[in-house]
Amino acid sequence: MSEIAAAGVRPGRSRLGAAAETARGAPDARRLLQLTLAGIWLLDGVLQYQAFMFSKGFSQMLAGTASGNPGIVASPINWNATLIEHHDVLLNSIFATIQVLLAIGIAWRPTVRVALAASIAWALGVWWFGEGLGMVLTGSASPVNGAPGAVIIYALLAVLLWPADHPGRPAPFTAARAVGAPVARALWLVLWLSLVYFALLPGNRAPQALNGMIAGMESGEPGWLAALDRGAASLVAHQGLAASIVLAIALVIIAAGVFLPPPAAKATLILAIVLAAVIWMFGEAFGAIMAGGATDVNSGPLLALLALTYWPVRAPGRAAPAYEGTTAS
Amino acid sequence: MIPSWILDIFAAIMLVVAAVSAGRLVAARSWQRGTGRAALADIDVAHLLMAIAMAGMLAASLQTLPNGAWSVIFAVMTAWFGYRVVRDSRVTGIRALAGGHCAPHLVHAGAMLYMFMAFMAPAAHGSGGMSGMGAGMSGMGTLQLPTLALLFALALVGYSIWDLDQLSGPGASGHYSLAAARVAPPGPVLAGVGATAAAAGPGAAGVSPAASATVATEPLAEPVARPAEIALVPPASGPANGTGLLAPWVATGCRIAMGITMAFMLVIMI
Repeated sequence: MSEIAAAGVRPGRSRLGAAAETARGAPDARRLLQLTLAGIWLLDGVLQYQAFMFSKGFSQMLAGTASGNPGIVASPINWNATLIEHHDVLLNSIFATIQVLLAIGIAWRPTVRVALAASIAWALGVWWFGEGLGMVLTGSASPVNGAPGAVIIYALLAVLLWPADHPGRPAPFTAARAVGAPVARALWLVLWLSLVYFALLPGNRAPQALNGMIAGMESGEPGWLAALDRGAASLVAHQGLAASIVLAIALVIIAAGVFLPPPAAKATLILAIVLAAVIWMFGEAFGAIMAGGATDVNSGPLLALLALTYWPVRAPGRAAPAYEGTTAS
Repeated sequence: MIPSWILDIFAAIMLVVAAVSAGRLVAARSWQRGTGRAALADIDVAHLLMAIAMAGMLAASLQTLPNGAWSVIFAVMTAWFGYRVVRDSRVTGIRALAGGHCAPHLVHAGAMLYMFMAFMAPAAHGSGGMSGMGAGMSGMGTLQLPTLALLFALALVGYSIWDLDQLSGPGASGHYSLAAARVAPPGPVLAGVGATAAAAGPGAAGVSPAASATVATEPLAEPVARPAEIALVPPASGPANGTGLLAPWVATGCRIAMGITMAFMLVIMI
């Protein structure tokens, strides 16, 4: 027991009450988003422990992402896949553990900066060596199947959720707190306009392109999800061009949304979340987690999480003090 | 196939959790009889049983009871924590699910029950019986209703992340307190504040160094606990705010370890 307590000295209520109330404040929006990101990393880490990842199939899957990429991109991918093929158990164990540690680091407040920084480096590495730069250079990337690569969105989220506050005017949304509103809006615009571009690629607007993409997700899924996929695939059969145009229009609206006044911005962000959910359910079959062999949750949840970071906030974001582990450094 | 040494590591972690939980039960009974400790004993009993069961699922050599017996145990445990969550929710409403400490145990117990009920051993290993689950896990047994497995895994991941966050900073209630491991004040305390202030450094959260020290060690003149804390945290003089093995953060740490391990098991058996 402390000396003060032992002596029976009681501090004034007001001082303690204020300190207590401040310290006991509820998690702010940015911290909640960080925790969601940590949860996704943890799920990824657990997925990486699946039996498939310890088999030759994993290295073959990685090698497959070299296909269609320029030589300068493909060569390191092939080298990495060969390395993993020869040391699959050791390296995959390390990969899985790294992701679990990233999750724990983000969730543990004193280490949130280190973990977020490490997650950016890790995500960039995986984007190249594990996802072939999201296949964005191959002409086969599509927003429906995870372009521009789910893992690059992890890195983007880590930047936008960095526990610091940009000097200047109060942030209009959480993503602007660390990098400022202009940079955050520019990043949003680049991402969503890139999705517009991918949606309109020739390979994606072919009559059966979307149908084939969705139907291809059925394999190994539970019956109800396979049935949903079959239904969705039949809806867009021979409608590739129309579906691509509709998707592109929706993506353009979303891209412009963060430049609109808050009420309109919220509407476009809801559209983004709904679209992300539709993509995740029908195009990505919930990351194919239930089929086994998924290394991550794919892009759907990350796009939704990203949209939430741009949700307009009424009060200045910087007003929430000392919650996020920022004060630990 | 997952290398057996990975399963063994997780099994070893579960054995540590079981040992810690058993130690907490023994310590509480020996030194803290009649101080309200019984109010939280069910948590340690649950941790102990779940950890033993999971160790057996991960390593066949550690199996103790038939799958059917474990199913009965976890059915009872699920019902018990379901009852406690309902009881808490009468006081705290929806916060009993989000912030209470019985809801995670309800999910844990439910997930264990689901794993034992839905497990399908691979054909090569037969089905059920003493060796069904452990042998099945290393031999890639699967679970029926994989959607349910995913939902349980998501909930477990969510609770584990939330626990880690709460354990490492302010906003903590009694069962998250790191500070309580260092002091055992005579009255209700705002547990966790001191730990966070110490971790965050002087001046954090608007708390001056002097105030931080005071908050970390002093009982409040008038407790400001939320309804959930009033309902869930036993008297501060009890061992729930004890030291060493009985510190609340030890139980939360066990819960985090079990939550992550359980999510791992669910995912690899989908």
